[in-house]
Amino acid sequence: MTESKGGTVLIVDDDREVVRTYRRYLEDAYAIREAYDGEEALEAIDDDVDVVLLDRLMPGASGGEVLDRIREQGYDVRVAMVTAVDPDFDIVDMGFDDYITKPTTREELRRTVEDLLSLNRHATDVREYHSLLVKAAALRDGKSSYELDENAAYIELESRISTLEASIESEAERLTDDSRFVATLRAIDTSQRGESDG
Amino acid sequence: MAEGDARTDRYCLSDVLPVDVDGIDPGLNVLVSGPPMSGKRQLVFDLLAPEAVPADPIVVMTTDDPASRIRMQFDDRNVRFDESSFRIVDATGAPGDSAPGIHRVSSPADLTGMGVAFTQAVDQMTAPDRLRLGFVSISTLLQYVDAERAFSFLHVLSRRTSAAGYLGVYSIDPTTHEDRFVNVVTSIFDASIEIREDDDGTRELRVRGLPDVAPEWTPFPH
Repeated sequence: MTESKGGTVLIVDDDREVVRTYRRYLEDAYAIREAYDGEEALEAIDDDVDVVLLDRLMPGASGGEVLDRIREQGYDVRVAMVTAVDPDFDIVDMGFDDYITKPTTREELRRTVEDLLSLNRHATDVREYHSLLVKAAALRDGKSSYELDENAAYIELESRISTLEASIESEAERLTDDSRFVATLRAIDTSQRGESDG
Repeated sequence: MAEGDARTDRYCLSDVLPVDVDGIDPGLNVLVSGPPMSGKRQLVFDLLAPEAVPADPIVVMTTDDPASRIRMQFDDRNVRFDESSFRIVDATGAPGDSAPGIHRVSSPADLTGMGVAFTQAVDQMTAPDRLRLGFVSISTLLQYVDAERAFSFLHVLSRRTSAAGYLGVYSIDPTTHEDRFVNVVTSIFDASIEIREDDDGTRELRVRGLPDVAPEWTPFPH
């Protein structure tokens, strides 16, 4: 697995100059993959990819078609559509998680990728929080509170639970953003079962 | 904010509950739990619309009764269905014509779809400052998705309404799930209202997690 840095970003655009520019904006913080059309994008994607920057208008398969294939194949990946014009439609039911309007800046591109990675983390954290709560409940079964206070594994678990709880509650304010709320639910939908164990 | 202001912001409950609680603070999420046929759904609906003219916009998300039955149950309590202030997210997958105020989702397994439908329902009511969300029921949701996904969905949905200052009311039948799951899912909520019934049909209710309310079993006649 080549996963390094803050995550893996797949850049998809038929304009090589655009791909080069995005790579330059991002490569110090993320592992980068590139694709120059829809078919290449589908070949380049696997479970290590966290974020796809997907050009909407490409010769051959369009960004929308590639998005549909990515969703059909069930990849747990966040997709930002890159468009030439501001979408004048409600994006929450379009199947992508965010969008960027061309031309973009380094700052905007990095913020978009970081937002998508942070909602991915939020979804993973909530799932891990659940599995820790289940484990703590199992440890509590049939034990007195005195025994639990002496149980190092239980104390460690409780401390992980409160750390995780603080972090997921602090993210909750951002859920009033409709597209972030829906993208977080999509991350839960596409997550692989049992991924948060261990 | 002065205490007086906070009080007037509360979600009024009239005398729906047999205990001395007249309102719930904005942003709270309440779990109503009880065995089958104990009247928990009626209680959820009473909490959404304590009066025939609801004080706040309402969204009901349903995974079991289709929208037509939900509408009937509100008709029975003389609450008028009006898409400017009352919407139903029907995730039962039951066939139905498109109708104003009804947002259909193909299945309770489509968590994203339920989220999309909720945001659309809220947006089409022009994103009100106050809203009461009812969710019936967690037990049915669990027949479609695993416990981890159900928990995550409920966590994200409840935090989204909480951040907006809405009131959330969810129902669960604890007799159909392991105690451990029920305890874990209960931890998502700020307060719980438990209903229990004796063999002779005597019904009682206990409120936990609301300030100034003692967690004692109180008669709750049908």
